[in-house]
Amino acid sequence: MNLKSILTALAPVLLVVVVLLGSDTFFIVNENEQAVITQFGRFVRKIQEPGLKYKTPLLQSVIYYDNRLLDHDVQPQEVVTKDKRTLVVDNFSKWKIVDPEKFYKRAKTEKVAEERLRDIIYSELRQDFGAHDLNEIISAKRVDLMRLVTERSNAKVLELEMGVEIVDVRIKRADLPPSNQQAVFNRMRAERKRIARQFRSKGDEEAQKIRATTDKEKVIILAEAYKTEQEIRGKGDAESIRITAEAFGKNPKFFEFLRSLEAYRTAISEQDSMVLTHNSPFLKYLKEP
Amino acid sequence: MSWDDKDKPPRRGGAGGFDKIPDIPDFDLSKLKPPSLRSIHFVFMGMALFLLYMATGIYSVQLQERAVVLAFGKHVDTTPPGMHWNIPYPLGKVVKVRMEEIKKVEVGLRTGPTGLSHADLLKEAQMLTEGINMIDVQMSVQYQIKDPAQFLFGVSDPQLDRNENPRYGSVRMISDEGLKFTVRNVAEAALREVVGSSPIDDVLTVGRSKIQQEVHELMQRILDIYGAGVTINLVQLQDVFPPEAVKESFHDVNNAEEDMNRLIRDAEGYSNAIIPQTRGKAAQIVAEAEAYSAQKVNMAKGDALRFDSQLTEYIKAPEITKKRLYLETMEIILGKVDKTIIDSESLSSLVPLLSLGQSRGSKRQALPKTTQPSEQESGR
Repeated sequence: MNLKSILTALAPVLLVVVVLLGSDTFFIVNENEQAVITQFGRFVRKIQEPGLKYKTPLLQSVIYYDNRLLDHDVQPQEVVTKDKRTLVVDNFSKWKIVDPEKFYKRAKTEKVAEERLRDIIYSELRQDFGAHDLNEIISAKRVDLMRLVTERSNAKVLELEMGVEIVDVRIKRADLPPSNQQAVFNRMRAERKRIARQFRSKGDEEAQKIRATTDKEKVIILAEAYKTEQEIRGKGDAESIRITAEAFGKNPKFFEFLRSLEAYRTAISEQDSMVLTHNSPFLKYLKEP
Repeated sequence: MSWDDKDKPPRRGGAGGFDKIPDIPDFDLSKLKPPSLRSIHFVFMGMALFLLYMATGIYSVQLQERAVVLAFGKHVDTTPPGMHWNIPYPLGKVVKVRMEEIKKVEVGLRTGPTGLSHADLLKEAQMLTEGINMIDVQMSVQYQIKDPAQFLFGVSDPQLDRNENPRYGSVRMISDEGLKFTVRNVAEAALREVVGSSPIDDVLTVGRSKIQQEVHELMQRILDIYGAGVTINLVQLQDVFPPEAVKESFHDVNNAEEDMNRLIRDAEGYSNAIIPQTRGKAAQIVAEAEAYSAQKVNMAKGDALRFDSQLTEYIKAPEITKKRLYLETMEIILGKVDKTIIDSESLSSLVPLLSLGQSRGSKRQALPKTTQPSEQESGR
């Protein structure tokens, strides 16, 4: 009875102890996490699979790390290219913790890891950009350069044995500093001027061509018209000559006579004076009837 | 018997255990009253509590949601809209993700309220093209969550200060802002990569749809590598313009192009006016020639016909006809002219006095050199 009452009194306390110990023994590692078990700060084992896990209560503790892709974004930095142009490069990278054991031993926190990453990536960037001209960096070789920087940085990170992998390094922006922009603007302006001039000269050229062609066609059309005209007129003339010659040829003498009379009629006008001698055949009867 | 009942719900899981809650207590309480009331109370209270706890595992998924289901931290299922059950908290977790929502990031502009200054936005929009030209590009990207589990477990939220909270603990949804951050970074990188390898005139004019297409593909590829669980729905270049400092020059190129077109149009106008006009003139010339020709031929025919008829009459009486025609003609001629009839013997002495040239009056005035007005009288 006595013992029973003591037990009854202790039961809640025991329950609390069991619950506390249990909660310090069992723990859940989520899908987005990985963890290391440490004992007084020393590494014991790593957990990379999600699920219900256990550890020695009180003595051991759990440190969780992110299992997802982590972001590493830095302030824009100045980089000098091979052709001695300065570029302000804003890059970001994506990385992940692949081995929580190494990560715990060498880095412990993401902050430390990121500082290392920043130094490594910046030095690789500087080196690779320094080996290429600005034009290549902006256009043709950009993708290759990014891959190269990713690979090289990754190799360096691997050497550090931090348990970290760089998945991707990418240039977000690569701009010219304001002092260099002016030169670019000047060049762009000159280039535009050239294009504008080209347009205007082309307009002149085309317009002249069209006008010249038009004038040419005009002359040709008129010349052809002249040709046709003369041909038609000539034919008309020839035809008329043929017709009259044919008709008058029937009696040339009579034609000559008729035509002469007609010619006199038209040639001699009212303003003319005529002097006739009395021997004129016309006046034959005037002399002596 | 009671043990059996107790064991059943966790094993079978799902709605089966839930269904039994109203049944069992009623039934058992009425039947098993006589034996030890206290112990039975404990058993049933425990059972009821357990079932109640299990019931908290019921969750509903809304129409536009998907639920990512974790059991002991492990991703076991992704459930569609409807009623579902999962091991209750803290052993199991359910994270609901809104799927239908179309999200948007913008580069170089913000349509909503923004903490960014105009200069910041301009800096974001400014980029280099091929051949180191600068250009301002504004772009908007629409995206959607494609895979809720990937979305949750793929990329961490850069907005959270992870260094201060080393335990991520509960599966926290990567926030909209956190996802946006990654998508925007990728958008900027992809846009600059594509624009960087395009000539400035392409970016400004004909190459826009190609650039959109390439940025779209590149963004999707990068985000897939990241395992972000995101689909890019739409990439749209909003506005593309040359920097303020060189705007004038670009305008001048447009003007020059217009000038060119105007010059060509003017010349074409000239051509369009001149050519038909000339053709008309040519047609006129030909028509006139044809008219002349026809006139000539018809006149000749007329002359011939007339001559023929005259000839016919003439042949009938040649001498008389000839005489008659002659006299008729002389009659007409002498009827209208000034006549002077002189004796043929004195003709030679009279000739100098006649001053024949003068007799035609004003018509011939300019020709003779030694003419006097008085002689005109005498000429008459």
